[in-house]
Amino acid sequence: MSLPTRARSTRLLVVTLVSISLVTITLDYRQGESGLLAEAGDVALTVMSPLQEAVSRVTHPIGNFFSTLVRLPSIRRENVDLADRLAGLESQMATTTADAARLAELEALLQLKESFGKKVETTGAQVIANGASNFDWTVTIDKGSSDGIAVDMPVVASAGLVGHVTRVAPDSAVIQLLLDPDSSVAGRLDLSRKTGLLTGEGDQDLRMGLVDTTTAVEPGEQVVTAGYKVPGAAQGLYPPGILIGSVSRVLPDDAALEKYVTVRPAVDFSALDVVLVVLSDGSG
Amino acid sequence: MRRALLLSAVILTALLLQTTVLADVRLLGAKPELMYLLTIVFAFLEGPASGAVTGFVGGMAQDFLLDEPKGITALTLTLLGYGIGLIRQYVVGPSPVFPVVLVAGGTFVGVLFNGVVRFLLGQFDVTVLYQLRVAALSAVYNAILTPLLFPVLRRAAEVSRSRRVSRW
Repeated sequence: MSLPTRARSTRLLVVTLVSISLVTITLDYRQGESGLLAEAGDVALTVMSPLQEAVSRVTHPIGNFFSTLVRLPSIRRENVDLADRLAGLESQMATTTADAARLAELEALLQLKESFGKKVETTGAQVIANGASNFDWTVTIDKGSSDGIAVDMPVVASAGLVGHVTRVAPDSAVIQLLLDPDSSVAGRLDLSRKTGLLTGEGDQDLRMGLVDTTTAVEPGEQVVTAGYKVPGAAQGLYPPGILIGSVSRVLPDDAALEKYVTVRPAVDFSALDVVLVVLSDGSG
Repeated sequence: MRRALLLSAVILTALLLQTTVLADVRLLGAKPELMYLLTIVFAFLEGPASGAVTGFVGGMAQDFLLDEPKGITALTLTLLGYGIGLIRQYVVGPSPVFPVVLVAGGTFVGVLFNGVVRFLLGQFDVTVLYQLRVAALSAVYNAILTPLLFPVLRRAAEVSRSRRVSRW
């Protein structure tokens, strides 16, 4: 076939194909969704779908790989956004949990306050700092002399006795914890009703001294404040009956003059949050 | 017959790949257009007549098998195949990167033409800027795929040609 003839036949072919395309476009446009061409399209789709499904099953990992590759920047952005949201939600959850724990603590304190009776005057306070030194077992609260707090006032938490006030400023006060080696409190064993003197041992359990060797003491036995009062002479710092802790160890030593008893404080001093300062025990 | 079968197989494979592997590869709002690439490469290798036929068959297959507006892709690819085939005739001793440039340019013009026709028929109501962006991105993606697919399509074109019998 000569070149001009070939070019002519190619042009004729293209014109024919273009014409068929235009007729198809027109028919499809006029017939819409319900025409013959649409039905042919449906049939073609029915044939194509299983093939697509089969190929997709085989090539899905490849497609995923490329898809992930091209979406990498957006995935990174999404990842950062999600991490931010997660951090926000975690923070929110932690706040909610802390709020719930605080609420429970406050409710317990309220119950404790009510258990003291109307004569006992108290005020709630928030722990705002811990003792700076390694040798002081103290905490600072956010209330002071302007709230009626004075030195030597007992401080309790919902779980039991915390300590007593040692220093007072107008808007804050320092509490010496039971754990402090300089702290001592008269305690009473719950079952035998025998008394002793509890002193702080730092991180260790409290030491209960002056307990007679004949006294029967069992681990787990509760110890409460003794609350003594000598008319006209001396008076204990703490009202009677406040829980101090429970006996953790009793060392048998028949040769000693007194029993060696240790007491685990009822209060978790590492998680101290709100406390109740006893302003007046109502005894006048 | 052999040529028709092979062309059908290549077109079907391209359609399947377009709707499976490349279905999710949509970067910046556009994806490669394998049928455009196939038409351009065949037109480059085989001339305007083969380019037009490949474009028409491939376009019609895409329109019907993928339930797209019937005839528009066929019209686009017929003209594209013919046009690329004509351009090829006037290029002497093309460089190895010429097919890549041709695929990029052809895809850009083809996708733009397709968009314009759809717009005129009221089936594609988007801004000119969007159409230009999609056309440009499709052109870039097709250009990237060309070095990978060109050897395969050239081999398919060679196989599809009727073998000559030489007598001495």
